[in-house]
Amino acid sequence: MTRQYELSDSSVVVVIGSGAGGGTVANELAQKGIDVVCLEAGSRMTLADVVNHPPTMDGLMGWHDKRIGPMVWVCKTVGGTTMRWSGVAPRIQEHEFRALSTYGQLDKGTTLIDWPLTLEELLPYYDKAEDKMGVSGTHDIPPSAETNNYKVLKAGGKRIGYKEITSARTAINPVARAGRPGCQQIGFCNSGCAVGAKWSTLYTEVPAAELTGHFELRTQAMAVRINHDKSGRITGVVYADADGAMHEQKARAVCVAGNVVETARILLNSESSLFPDGLANSTGNVGRHYTRHTFGQAMAVMPKPVNYHRGTRQSGIILDEQYHKPERGFAGGYIIETLSLDPWNVSTWAGGWGPGNTAFTDDYTKLAGIFITGEDPPESVNRISLHPSERDENGLPVPVIEYRDHPNTLAMREHSLKMSRAIYESLGATDFTGSDIPVGAHNMGVARMSANPDDGVTNRWGQAHDIPNLFVSDGSVFSTSAAANPTLTIVALAIRQADHIAERMQARTL
Amino acid sequence: MNDKQTTRRRFIVAALTFSAVATNMPGISWLKSSEAWAKADDDSASPAMIRLARLLFPHAGMPDSTYRAVMGDVLAALAASPDSAGLVDAAEKALDARRGRPWVELGEVDQVAAVAEIQGEAFFAAILGAVRGVFYNHPQVWEHIGYPGSSKEFGGYKHRGFDDIDWLPGDVS
Repeated sequence: MTRQYELSDSSVVVVIGSGAGGGTVANELAQKGIDVVCLEAGSRMTLADVVNHPPTMDGLMGWHDKRIGPMVWVCKTVGGTTMRWSGVAPRIQEHEFRALSTYGQLDKGTTLIDWPLTLEELLPYYDKAEDKMGVSGTHDIPPSAETNNYKVLKAGGKRIGYKEITSARTAINPVARAGRPGCQQIGFCNSGCAVGAKWSTLYTEVPAAELTGHFELRTQAMAVRINHDKSGRITGVVYADADGAMHEQKARAVCVAGNVVETARILLNSESSLFPDGLANSTGNVGRHYTRHTFGQAMAVMPKPVNYHRGTRQSGIILDEQYHKPERGFAGGYIIETLSLDPWNVSTWAGGWGPGNTAFTDDYTKLAGIFITGEDPPESVNRISLHPSERDENGLPVPVIEYRDHPNTLAMREHSLKMSRAIYESLGATDFTGSDIPVGAHNMGVARMSANPDDGVTNRWGQAHDIPNLFVSDGSVFSTSAAANPTLTIVALAIRQADHIAERMQARTL
Repeated sequence: MNDKQTTRRRFIVAALTFSAVATNMPGISWLKSSEAWAKADDDSASPAMIRLARLLFPHAGMPDSTYRAVMGDVLAALAASPDSAGLVDAAEKALDARRGRPWVELGEVDQVAAVAEIQGEAFFAAILGAVRGVFYNHPQVWEHIGYPGSSKEFGGYKHRGFDDIDWLPGDVS
C-alpha cells in the first residue's frame, strides 16, 4: 500500500527526517488522509540488523558526517535517534514552560524565554504521546520491571531521603502491547532494541503511515535545500539520492525534523536573495539558543555484584531534584536516572590509563551507574552555524557547533554528582567517579518557539514566524531545555502540530 | 571472511572511529579504509608494544596473549591510514629515548614514569584511544572482567538474573 508520488506533485507535505519528530508528524498527517513524502538521509534497517553492542551499532546507524566542534551523538537511519534513545519519557513540568518568569534572566548572556504554550495546553498531547509510545506507568501499563541497577539506585536514594523514585515513565513495553512484545532485558538499549519492545518510529510510526496509503518514505535521501517562490512561500525540497543525484520534490508545506544540527543547517543553507541569512531567519535566531542539557554520569563500585549490563539501560528515575529550588545554588532542576555502560565506555569515562582506570573495569560486575539530565539555560552564543568554506561529501557547508556550559550548568552538575556519590556511598560503595558527558545527545533550541518573533524562529505551533508553510517538528522548537529527556515532548508537540496543519488545510489557510 | 570476522571488524572500526572523535584524530578515513587492514596479524606487535598495552590497562591475571592479540588489531588499524601509520613507531622511539636505552628493558617503575612523560604527546592520545577501543571490545577481555557479551542470542536476561540482586539492606530495598 506504499504510495509513490511524482516529484512534481505539489500537493504533498514533505517531512524531512523519520525520527521522533518527523516520523510522528508524518504518520499523524497520513492518518488524517494527508499525503506525505518523508525524506530520510539514512537507510532502513530491520530488527534482525540490531546487534547487542553499542559501538557496532554506532557504526551502522550513527551520524558521522563532518562537523566542527563538540560531539553530537545522533543517528542517520530510518527511525533516527529513536533507534538509539534509552526510552526515558518524563514530562516537562509546569514551571519549566515558564522558565523566564520562574528563574528570571540568569545574567547578561542567557536568553531564557517562556514557552508560547502551557503545560495545560499540552496535557492532552502528552496523554496521546504516552499512549502511542507505551510509556510505563501510564494508560494501565505497569511500571517497568526493576533491574539490579535500579534497585541499587532506589535503595541508595531512599537511604539519603529521596521520595519520588519510580521505575515508571519508560517507553519500553513491560508487557506486550500494541503489536510490540514485552522487554526481554537484553541490555544496552542504545544499540537499538532487537525485539522492538522499545518505542522507535522504525517499527511503529513509519509502517503505520505506510498502511494508510498516504505516505512514501524515501531513504538515503539527504535534504540539502528548501526552495521558495517570489512571495516567500515554500515550493519544494532539494535532496541528494544514494548516488548523489539531486532531485526536487515539490511541496504544499514542509516539516523539518533533522535533529537540530541538520535542521539548522538546512534552514541556513537555503539562503536566497529574498532570505539572505537563510530561511525563517529574519530575526537572526536560526541556529541560536542551542541547548543540550546539563549532563552528568556517575559510576560506583558497589560492595557486591550488580551486573548492570543485565536489562534495560535506563530503567528508573529519581524526581526529587527536578524542582526549582534556588537555595541549591542554581536555577532549574535535574533528574537522576540509571545508566549502564559497556566495558569500553566504562574505561573511556573512567579516563586516563593505568590502575586508576582499570579499577572500574576490573570491577565491572560490581558497577552501578547514574545518568543526569538537567535544565540548561539557553545562550545566544551557543549555536549552530555554517562554515564559510568547508564542504562535506554532499557539497554542503560543514556545521560549526559552538557550545559552552553556563555557570548554572556547572553548579547543577556539581550538585548532582555530589548527590550521586551520596546515593552510592550510603550503600558502601568502594570507589566512585563522576563527570560531564561532553556529547550532544539531547539537542534542543536553534529554531525555538517564541511568542515574539524577535526571540525565536517559530510560533506556538512550530510554524516559522516568517513563512506560513514551513514547520519545524523536532527538538529545535524547544523554547528552553527543561530537565526532562526530550523525546516524549517532541512526540507530543508533533502530534499537536499535525492537528494544526490539518485544521489549516481544511480551512484552506495553508 | 566469515560473518563473525566481518562483525568483529565492523566494531573495531566503530570503536576506533569513536576514539578518534574523542581524541580529535582523523577517524572517518579509517572507516573508509577498513578493507585494507582486515587481515590482522597477531604476531605483529613488538614486545615493547605488548608491554605498553599491559601498563595502559593493567588487569591482574590477563595473559600476554590477549595483549598481543589486541595490539595486532591496533597496529593493523593504525597502519591502514596514512594519518596514523607512523604513530606506533613514534611512540616506540619516544619511549626508548626517555632513558637512552630500550624502554622494554627498564624496570616497571621507570617504564610507567617514561609513559607518563610522553602522555601529553598527540601520538600518545591516539594510541591510547585505539588500544582502549580494541581492548575493551575484545571478547577475551570481556570474559576476564565478567561481561559475557551480547545477550540477544540467549533471550536477554528476563529469565537470567536481571533482577537477582540479593545483598541490598532490607530497610531500603
